[in-house]
Amino acid sequence: MSTGDPFSLAGKRILVTGASSGIGRQTAISCAQMGAQLVLSGRHAERLAATCAELEGEGHTQIVADLTRQEDIDRVVDESGPLNGVVHAAGISKLAPFRLISRAHLDEIFSGNVYAPILLTKGLLAKKRIAAQGSILFISALASHVGPVASGVYSASKAALLGAMRTLALDVVKQGIRANCIAPGYVRTPMLEGLNQGGGSIDEHAKLTPLGLGEPEDVAYAAVFYLADASRWVTRNYFIVDGGLTVPMDIYA
Amino acid sequence: MSNPAHKAFSLEGKTILVTGASSGLGRQIAISCAHRGARLVVTGRDAMRLQETHDQLKGAGHVQVTADLTSSDDRERLAQVSDNIDGLVLCMGGQMLSPIRQLKEALMTAMYRTHFLAPVMLTQRLLQANCINKNGSIVFMLSTAAHIGTRGVGPYSAMKSGLLGIIRCLAIELAPRKVRVNGISPSVVPTPQLWGEDNEQNEPLNKERARHPLGLGTPQDVANGAVYLLADASRWVTGTSLVMDGGAVL
Repeated sequence: MSTGDPFSLAGKRILVTGASSGIGRQTAISCAQMGAQLVLSGRHAERLAATCAELEGEGHTQIVADLTRQEDIDRVVDESGPLNGVVHAAGISKLAPFRLISRAHLDEIFSGNVYAPILLTKGLLAKKRIAAQGSILFISALASHVGPVASGVYSASKAALLGAMRTLALDVVKQGIRANCIAPGYVRTPMLEGLNQGGGSIDEHAKLTPLGLGEPEDVAYAAVFYLADASRWVTRNYFIVDGGLTVPMDIYA
Repeated sequence: MSNPAHKAFSLEGKTILVTGASSGLGRQIAISCAHRGARLVVTGRDAMRLQETHDQLKGAGHVQVTADLTSSDDRERLAQVSDNIDGLVLCMGGQMLSPIRQLKEALMTAMYRTHFLAPVMLTQRLLQANCINKNGSIVFMLSTAAHIGTRGVGPYSAMKSGLLGIIRCLAIELAPRKVRVNGISPSVVPTPQLWGEDNEQNEPLNKERARHPLGLGTPQDVANGAVYLLADASRWVTGTSLVMDGGAVL
């Protein structure tokens, strides 16, 4: 593609967390295909290296880190270098009916899904790691609006990202930095497969979704749009990528 | 150089029909789509201005049809030359303001015919005549007015909100054919036709600019949003709208 392509990520360095699997992994792969240089973060060294090996282009780096630990967040901030984009794709999901919610369960889910992306963003901003015209993207989830069974804490954690993002976007607009959320529906990922071992079935989720189960690429391409200059006028935005799952639901009621 | 991501954002091999293509957002969307490899069918009311759009389209094989889409004869004529459409962008419009207390039936009817009846019935005709391909994408040009209340904008707001209803129901109806249906909701994009010249004296524009954290948008910004919604990159996005508002938030 020619230079001046608003969808190209050539010349951009992008940090993707949760890059060892699922949506994070595919986002890294698709961003590299669009020309970006990647900084990958993930907990599993071997799987992270496997993602890195799949990236087109050169100069990609990987940082093995558990973002529920502050020292690991600090290390990612220190080692990431200058960035033009950040995709917070790391996340965890565990089901618990409301009467069985414990402080430990809340701490675990919020630590991974809320504290980590917020504190990592804070660290990157404090060290001025994100360049002007940069784009910060949070992978939220439709659970934030839908509230599926037994996912109270997970849904709350994903909803928290929306509130944080709206304020963050105002804070960073003076530097020309944008912040947005993507809210995916049911996507074929290890996380969904993990949930289904708890009793659900992937086929059921696929049946609920008018366009069927999503693929990680579908979310990755939305991320490419939000990272690229094509979306330079879009900030404080919450974008639903769900194959139509919520079309028959009044999620704003 | 072509890899899966580049292909996903390309419009090569696709035919895109853009209404309201003789000016403003419709014109820029047509130009941007042609630039990404699409063949265009452009339509608008003003033959001369439509020709100007046509002249700016990169590539060959583009078709132009001068038509007033509030007329069913004109819609039929457009459908006749619109087979194998992969993308439909419904951009015709034009603002008319009126506080509800002073609203005239003639103004409301005109708004209904242009902003609601024309796009909905053109879509109906194209679907009935099997003009829209499997895996196609339909994009209604909305406005943040579809979601928010603004003094004097009632008739326009109502028609754009009405289209949200069409988008959601049509998304469900067309999902089995993998055709997706979405809206784009831009906030203020200062096109000369709607807003006049953008200079220091243009008070309404300066007021609008002040309430948008990223300032006002350009037709290119909105066209890039349309390209994403038309390209295979968005094949799993349906029944929603892409808000483009420089952070003003609905």
